[in-house]
Amino acid sequence: MKLNNSKTINIEDKLLPAHQYAASLFDLVTSRNVNKHKLLRGTRIFQEDFKSDKMLSPQQLLQLTHNANALTPGNDCSFQLGRRLFPGNYGAVSNALMYSKDFGEALRLLSILRNQICPFLEGNAYSSIDKQYLLIKDSFGDPTLLQFFIEVYCSALVSTSKLLYERRIPFNFSFPFQRPKHIQEYEENLGYKLAFSQPIFSISFDRKWLHTKCTHRSDSLKWYSLKQAKMSSIPKLGFLEQVRKLLMKNRQLSLKQAAAVFSMSPATFKRKLSLHGKTFQQIQDELGKQYATFLLQMQHLSNEESASLMQFNDIPNFRRAVKRWTGQTPSQLRLT
Amino acid sequence: MNFSLFTRHSTLCSIFFGCLFLPISLSFGLGSSKILGDISWLDILGEGSLVILSAIWVLFVLVSRPPGKVTSALVIGLSLFLFSACLDLFDEWMHYDNRAAYLNMFESIPAAFGMVIMSYALFQWHQELLIVNQQLQRRELNLRQHDQVDFITKLYDADYMREQINDQLKHSGNPTFSVVMLDIDSFDSFNRQYGHDEGDRLLREVSELILMNLRSLDLVCRYAGDRFILLLPNTDRVVAEEIAEQIRKAIVHLAYKPSRGNNAVYHSLTYVAETASMEDKIAEAILSRVNRRLDLSKQSISAMAI
Repeated sequence: MKLNNSKTINIEDKLLPAHQYAASLFDLVTSRNVNKHKLLRGTRIFQEDFKSDKMLSPQQLLQLTHNANALTPGNDCSFQLGRRLFPGNYGAVSNALMYSKDFGEALRLLSILRNQICPFLEGNAYSSIDKQYLLIKDSFGDPTLLQFFIEVYCSALVSTSKLLYERRIPFNFSFPFQRPKHIQEYEENLGYKLAFSQPIFSISFDRKWLHTKCTHRSDSLKWYSLKQAKMSSIPKLGFLEQVRKLLMKNRQLSLKQAAAVFSMSPATFKRKLSLHGKTFQQIQDELGKQYATFLLQMQHLSNEESASLMQFNDIPNFRRAVKRWTGQTPSQLRLT
Repeated sequence: MNFSLFTRHSTLCSIFFGCLFLPISLSFGLGSSKILGDISWLDILGEGSLVILSAIWVLFVLVSRPPGKVTSALVIGLSLFLFSACLDLFDEWMHYDNRAAYLNMFESIPAAFGMVIMSYALFQWHQELLIVNQQLQRRELNLRQHDQVDFITKLYDADYMREQINDQLKHSGNPTFSVVMLDIDSFDSFNRQYGHDEGDRLLREVSELILMNLRSLDLVCRYAGDRFILLLPNTDRVVAEEIAEQIRKAIVHLAYKPSRGNNAVYHSLTYVAETASMEDKIAEAILSRVNRRLDLSKQSISAMAI
């Protein structure tokens, strides 16, 4: 199996339009009296870029977000940005989502078009009998901005659901960080079903929403928008996403084998991973932690079932691995 | 730092620079320089820092206060002090012959005048702050923390309100205050239709209207987004709901004019009032109660609309 590198977006690739995320953030922050030059410092972005067709790299957007986070007064910058992102300047992508039949279809469209509208976080969907789960990870490995992006895209998700249904879908949010002091912003923007200090970041909701009809649904308009959105030059997958996909299919893969799949030498592969803020071992551990938490904490499966689903051959090995990933034994994790 | 006020003080600026450069020209014009061995560097250090710091004080007054009686008195007083401090500093280098000996005698007089003017200015400043405190009534209680002021409405933020509620809970064994949470209906769609700058302006106007409808001891803060919170001391739930209803009526009648077009946009408001109970130990308890009730009533409103 070989993968084509041109199909992924790397942290340095200038492929994201300046007039979308960057322009929304720039407008919001400068409306709060933040100095424009300080905001753009170190980003290699110029104010004129927002009006042009200029493309920016994820790295530049991360730097801009860093500056904005540091300079903006108050705690609501990320939430306000989230509310503005959708429908925002995303054109065809927004339209395709807006005209979806139901929330399930909107999520399927999002999984195809995600890199165009939400390049910083990526997720996988899992379901149980009555619940739908989204387990989410960062795409560019910047831990200092993780909470900011979580706030942005959670509030974007909630305000999207308000647009689709004219009311909020009651989401449950589990956050991997402590309960923040500005809890009022979370309650106002995301609702009250919030859990903090969780092992992994996840969003869940009732499965009935997957099939609840949206207010503005229209098949023909949706297909047209989707066709337009698919013409975008933004690759479908991020680099880390590609690596994770590969490792989820085959957990036992070594660094050398993975590098071979990407047609790189192990050294180049390592260097590219560290450019995205990760090591190979870290990615494997994060995936293990996420899946184990899902099976044990959310699904309350037994050790035997979980171990076999995670391709472990013996239980003691599995218990040791869970303890290393999450700091808790499987039985402790099941109780929380 | 914001220097926009600086340009409005042209007269005071010239007085300040006069008091800085006059002593320089006086001492260099009239005196002759000392030999190097006679110079006491420790004195220069001490007196030099007086000059520099008083100049910085003047600059701070100029960039932070609008023109007026108090500002003028503060700047003139400090400038006179600066004048003396400059003379004092330069006579460490300069030596005056008999013809200019009066400079040495004279040098401390302006500082004395300056201090008298400063004292007068501080008294006036005290009077001014009493007035400003009155103007700020209903925006703040007994604590001033400028870093907790919300950027858009200039009301205090949720942290400040939490501290004030905790304060009330701590100091009275049997709390008798009420808390009201107000939320503007369909603010999101207003934002989408008219833009976020209009949304921010609407929040400012609504906060002014709420202020107008409060009693002098009440407090209003911006909670989050389009949500405001009131703290009503010594008030039971019936009176609290009455006040909230009056605010709702005021908002319903507010004919808000967006900058594009002349058509007025009307808004409605949802509110929930709660009285503190004996069980409430921290602000979070009462806040989560009113928030949940507010969400429930908002949901029933949107359900009715559908």
